[in-house]
Amino acid sequence: MTFEEAQHELEQIVERLERGDAGLDEAIKLWERGEELYKQCVGQLDAAQGKIEELARRAESAKPA
Amino acid sequence: MKVEAIQYGDRKVYTVASFNRGVADWLSRLPTIWVEGEVTELRRNARWQSVFFTLKDPSDGACLGVTIARSRFDALRLDLGDGERVHVFGRPELFEAKGDFRLRALSIERFGLGDHLAALERLKQKLAAEGVFERRLPLPFLPKRIGLVTGNDAAAKRDVLTTITARFPAARIVVAETYVQGPFAATAMIDALRGVCAAPDVDVVVLARGGGSFEDLLPFSDERLVRAIATCPVPVVSAVGHEQDMPLCDLAADARASTPTAAARLVVPDASELVNRLDRSRAALARGARGVLERRRQRLERSHERLRRAPALAVERKRARLEHSAGRLRTLSPRATLERGYAIVRSGDAIVRSSAAVASGDAIDVEVGDGRFEARVE
Repeated sequence: MTFEEAQHELEQIVERLERGDAGLDEAIKLWERGEELYKQCVGQLDAAQGKIEELARRAESAKPA
Repeated sequence: MKVEAIQYGDRKVYTVASFNRGVADWLSRLPTIWVEGEVTELRRNARWQSVFFTLKDPSDGACLGVTIARSRFDALRLDLGDGERVHVFGRPELFEAKGDFRLRALSIERFGLGDHLAALERLKQKLAAEGVFERRLPLPFLPKRIGLVTGNDAAAKRDVLTTITARFPAARIVVAETYVQGPFAATAMIDALRGVCAAPDVDVVVLARGGGSFEDLLPFSDERLVRAIATCPVPVVSAVGHEQDMPLCDLAADARASTPTAAARLVVPDASELVNRLDRSRAALARGARGVLERRRQRLERSHERLRRAPALAVERKRARLEHSAGRLRTLSPRATLERGYAIVRSGDAIVRSSAAVASGDAIDVEVGDGRFEARVE
């Protein structure tokens, strides 16, 4: 699942919950699913950030004098 | 003069002398005319009666011998140099002793500035009509090798080389030194141009010369050179240092620079500026990547915040609805009726709905608005 797909699903879940038309059991399930998606998205962002910083560091050290 | 033929049977035969005389006689009837060309091989000797030179057509090299009486030539005080363009006024003549055809000059006029300008303008119109000035090949961004055609000790050469090296130290240059003024300049420059183009890897050529007088720069308007530039296999940058009287080579070249230094700037990029630009791009790249990430993260956190609040909100809302229902439930319960003065009578566990359901002496249970009590049926 790509970051964008996960984010999209998360946002739909939030909207659904905020509309308040979900059953209680369903709402709990949606919430759990939302938390799961959030964790996944944060993980992907952290990985991307790590990669960017690594590249920036490498580019900086490879700079010609 | 009478030309006599010798009769051999029915064949008429002329002696060489009489043939020459006959032709000379015919030629002498032609009118005097003006002929234009370049002076070459001028020979003047104080002991000779005549001065000799060859008049050459600069466009195709056709030649014509010219003689002029020495006294007449000296009186003109022309001080003609080799390759100089002139108008010669005279008539065709055959030198009978040698059978030499030539132009007997009566007067010579140096080709003046006005003539040059007029000739240049005509040539310009002609070449423009042929589309010779329309080529504009793009210059390579980073030339593999640069060909430089220039004078052999010219400041122009130094300017081009210094500027190229300063801007792009790794540039490779092949230099062809050549005449850049005088009668042989045009052909010499064409040879030099072909020479550098033939050198391996050359993908752009600079033709450079510092400023000069109008006459000095004439070879740069030579038709053959102009055509050679227009058909050169690689792009040509013309840098003939003169703002006015733009030489025709400038019009045919793929790019034109006002000075040799400017030409150098056209053919190579500034290496340090390139590096700076790359550095800026790289910094912007990192900034851009971080920015994208940051925006994603903020959006994600906003979603998460809403998600975090959502279940409590949902439970809250359900609880409120529940309370509301409970309220209504309570309103609908019989207790409210009891409070208005009614009572519920139970016998054992059953509600008493009929007087027949109880008999005298039965113990009953009465419920009223604020509680219950025991009673006995009379």
